[in-house]
Amino acid sequence: MSAVKRWNPVEALGAWVLESVEDFGGYVRFTTAAVVGIVKPPYRLRLLFKQMEFVGNQSLSIVMITGAFTGMVFAVQSDFAFGKFGARGLIGSTVVLALCRELGPVLTSLMVNGRVGSAFAAELGTMRVTEQIDALESMAIDPIQYLAAPRIGAALLMMPILCAVFDLVGTVGVSYVATQVLGVNPGPFYNRMEWFVDPDDIWGGMLKSAFFGFVLASVGCYRGYNARGGAEGVGQATTRAVVASGVAILVVDYFITLILAPMSVNRV
Amino acid sequence: MGENIRIQGLTKSFGAQKVLAGVDLEVPSGQITCVIGRSGTGKSVLLKILMGLLRPDGGSIVINGVDITKLGDRELLKVRNRFGMVFQNAALFDSMNVFENIAFPVREHERLKEADLKVRVDAALASVGLLEHGHKNPHELSGGMRKRAAVARALVRKPEFLLYDEPTTGLDPIMTAHVDELIRTTQDQTPGLTSLVISHDMHATMQIADKIAMLFEGRVIFEGTGEDVRTTPHPVVRQFVEGRLEGPITL
Ligand SMILES: Nc1ncnc2c1ncn2[C@@H]1O[C@H](COP(=O)(O)OP(=O)(O)OP(=O)(O)O)[C@@H](O)[C@H]1O
Ligand SMILES: [Mg+2]
Repeated sequence: MSAVKRWNPVEALGAWVLESVEDFGGYVRFTTAAVVGIVKPPYRLRLLFKQMEFVGNQSLSIVMITGAFTGMVFAVQSDFAFGKFGARGLIGSTVVLALCRELGPVLTSLMVNGRVGSAFAAELGTMRVTEQIDALESMAIDPIQYLAAPRIGAALLMMPILCAVFDLVGTVGVSYVATQVLGVNPGPFYNRMEWFVDPDDIWGGMLKSAFFGFVLASVGCYRGYNARGGAEGVGQATTRAVVASGVAILVVDYFITLILAPMSVNRV
Repeated sequence: MGENIRIQGLTKSFGAQKVLAGVDLEVPSGQITCVIGRSGTGKSVLLKILMGLLRPDGGSIVINGVDITKLGDRELLKVRNRFGMVFQNAALFDSMNVFENIAFPVREHERLKEADLKVRVDAALASVGLLEHGHKNPHELSGGMRKRAAVARALVRKPEFLLYDEPTTGLDPIMTAHVDELIRTTQDQTPGLTSLVISHDMHATMQIADKIAMLFEGRVIFEGTGEDVRTTPHPVVRQFVEGRLEGPITL
């Protein structure tokens, strides 16, 4: 400890990799226990409903505001792009496709992550450092099942609904701006939209958002559950949860999209 | 009647720090045993190992012929149901009011009608003098009231073993006397109950303990009655009891 040692980049990298692998292993074990906790009795429906209210209801306003303005700004931007080659009639279909397939699930998840992922990490972290988790365990209650299962379950159920709300509000936003503000001809606008956008685009986006909900809730709970060392530890856990989930959502998005894409190629 | 807890050769380290270095201790049933020792000697760690919240590195804890440190998770849950624990900082759930905190372990493990539950919880609240405060949230209570609520929560399922982690630290002298009396009367009114109290309050310990053990540098270095503690020439015990600066205990 006290001996002056030169910083060795290889050693540091090795230590970092080991730590990350160990951390990921811990995450997998935690999440498995939580999923088992969702499936296995006792079912604590009251806790689930409470979390669904928190994840769903209370996120509604931020999701609607984000959705509306995303749709509106994309109307303006694609008007600029499509105007260059006189294809303004395609604004609706293009933006709505992008909303349902990509922007809806990803932006909804990132917004909800900021609210819900951080709250989960802070709540469980506080319970950890004030021995409330030990107290649960001392009462012969499985704390992962009691705390993480309803939170992850609620995110899994509510994210697709929030995503659908985002899609809907975003579609209203783009339609309003395109037809009322930018003066796009409503006839072809709605016609193309109906023609190009398939229910599968909407379902696919909602399915993705369920995955993202799972990621942000499980990472938030895991970070909080393993918080150490007082208020500072809780703060660190919260920050790490939000950053890790945000990155993970974008990475997972790419891979799910790759898997889902072939399924929609076959239609037309 | 209840059973003794026999702790043998218990060791626990955190990284390079050896906290418990072979603890031997017998906790006799139907009595109050107090473990005293300086702050940071591993008293809370000892309790957490007893409850199965931490796994020891070595040694055994035998209750009724069964070594609970070797049990799987499922059996461990059954053992935990026989224990109640009062945490050092109360550890009340801050998402619930006091009544719900105390009702919680009952709700989780027993099917009771709401009316019967209320009778049970009110009795527990009354026994710690909090009957009027059930509707309050934990953060609206004073430190002493939180401790008392924690005692009520630990007692409500009528455990065989009741563990207290520094029940009186941070309380005023009158509240301290009150909690000490609460521990004593709880013990006397509950047949077969075995209490283990962790403390560094010598005065209180002398008042309530049937047996006193001192933890020092990871081991139990002294066991005896209050009278034994008063008369022993053991230099570490003497220094601790008299609160002197000079002696074998150093910072
Ligand atoms: N989970 C843990 N991880 C690492 N070290 C720990 C952990 N729990 C306790 N320790 C260390 O073990 C030692 C004993 O801690 P413990 O809480 O048992 O002390 P204590 O005797 O209860 O003290 P106090 O009277 O102040 O409550 C301390 O040095 C502490 O830093
Ligand atoms: Mg302690």
